[in-house]
Amino acid sequence: MYQTNKKYVKPEMKMADLIFDNPSLLLLMEHCGFNSVVQDKSVAQLCEEKNINPRVFVAFANLYNGFQPTSGESFSKEDISQIILILENSHNYYENEKCPEIKQCIQQLYSENDSPEIKLIDKFFDEYIVEVKEHFSYEDDTAFPYFTALLKDDITSTHEKQKYNFSVEEYSEHHTDIESKLNDLKALLLKHVPLQNDRILRRKIIVSLFELEYDLNIHHIVEEELLVPAVRELEKIIYSN
Amino acid sequence: MNNKNIHIAIFEPSQIVYEGLSNILLKTSHAFKLFSVDCLEDINTLYKEERIDFVIINPSEIQNKTKEFFSLKKKMSGICWVALVYNYFDRQLLEMYDDVIRITDAADSIAEMLLKLKDSNSAQPSSGEQEQLTDREIEVLKLMVAGLANKEIAEQLFISIHTVISHRKNISQKTGIKSQAGLTIYAISNKIIKIEDFTS
Repeated sequence: MYQTNKKYVKPEMKMADLIFDNPSLLLLMEHCGFNSVVQDKSVAQLCEEKNINPRVFVAFANLYNGFQPTSGESFSKEDISQIILILENSHNYYENEKCPEIKQCIQQLYSENDSPEIKLIDKFFDEYIVEVKEHFSYEDDTAFPYFTALLKDDITSTHEKQKYNFSVEEYSEHHTDIESKLNDLKALLLKHVPLQNDRILRRKIIVSLFELEYDLNIHHIVEEELLVPAVRELEKIIYSN
Repeated sequence: MNNKNIHIAIFEPSQIVYEGLSNILLKTSHAFKLFSVDCLEDINTLYKEERIDFVIINPSEIQNKTKEFFSLKKKMSGICWVALVYNYFDRQLLEMYDDVIRITDAADSIAEMLLKLKDSNSAQPSSGEQEQLTDREIEVLKLMVAGLANKEIAEQLFISIHTVISHRKNISQKTGIKSQAGLTIYAISNKIIKIEDFTS
């Protein structure tokens, strides 16, 4: 995602200025538990209020602003647990807000355009929701609790690791791509399924799909490029003792 | 050709140079889509997922990997390989490429050079120029949507599994749809199958 006018986020910058440049950051603020009325506060001030390390917030924010992740950046245990918390919050947004919103639009679309394709699109999206829920519950119930146990020093040896029967390698291998189906849906609505007086509704759905995809894409990058390497380091230290 | 994206993979370790080159390319009136890659293996992975027209490589990255480079070049057909040069390289090393961009080149000459190279290369048949599916692809699509596996499709159409896979790749590239459920909806929208044919 290349933006010609991208701004590299730094802790001393004013949050309001950043949002005027890229309103998607409002969503990140929500994932971080920030209030959306930011007054004149800087990134660092807002982070301090919520006990989030500005480095963590800045790492996320620069992904939203279209930068590649900085490789080799090391995060403390406290940072990693904050990253996990932000990821969990965004699961909540996808599952309980964005997916239902799109689902509702599709159903409305069906009432205006009752072609068989729309019915199948409805079914397609239902299946997608199931897939997304599985993906997230695997993370919420298996992967993240294991990471958290590592962070809290609950696992201190290879022996105790066996109890969890899990590793960051396994997580990384099972980490599936949940964006490609969204792409299919966009292509269908944009290129193939004929219109029947549903222009406005269809535009809303397509825009929503882009919004969901944009956030999911960053979510995926954080997991692959920040979380996995950080936990891998942690495992190395713990299991080498 | 102007109405179509030109896909370029760039393998350049210096971020300054990469950003500079991508700015120059993206500011031209041509529709370039750029992919940044970090190793030869990445190019291969990208090739499996995307159509690639150009690969721009800093030759120092493959100086000791010419063997790998050659096998990759052989495997990926219809691609123009361009060296991005800003220090001294042996002539022989540069001869492995179709053309060379030098760091001293004028910014607006780069895009022109790429397009010229592409034109001279497109005498060879290149796939994916059209959005329309071929008759054969439609046959494959019908069987896919009916739920047949690659092996079964191959048997029914008397073609190899390899050919089936390559048809599937082309279908996904042309339609922009990868999943079977998505392709089913595509087939119905385009009246390739009737809804009654599809029961599940």
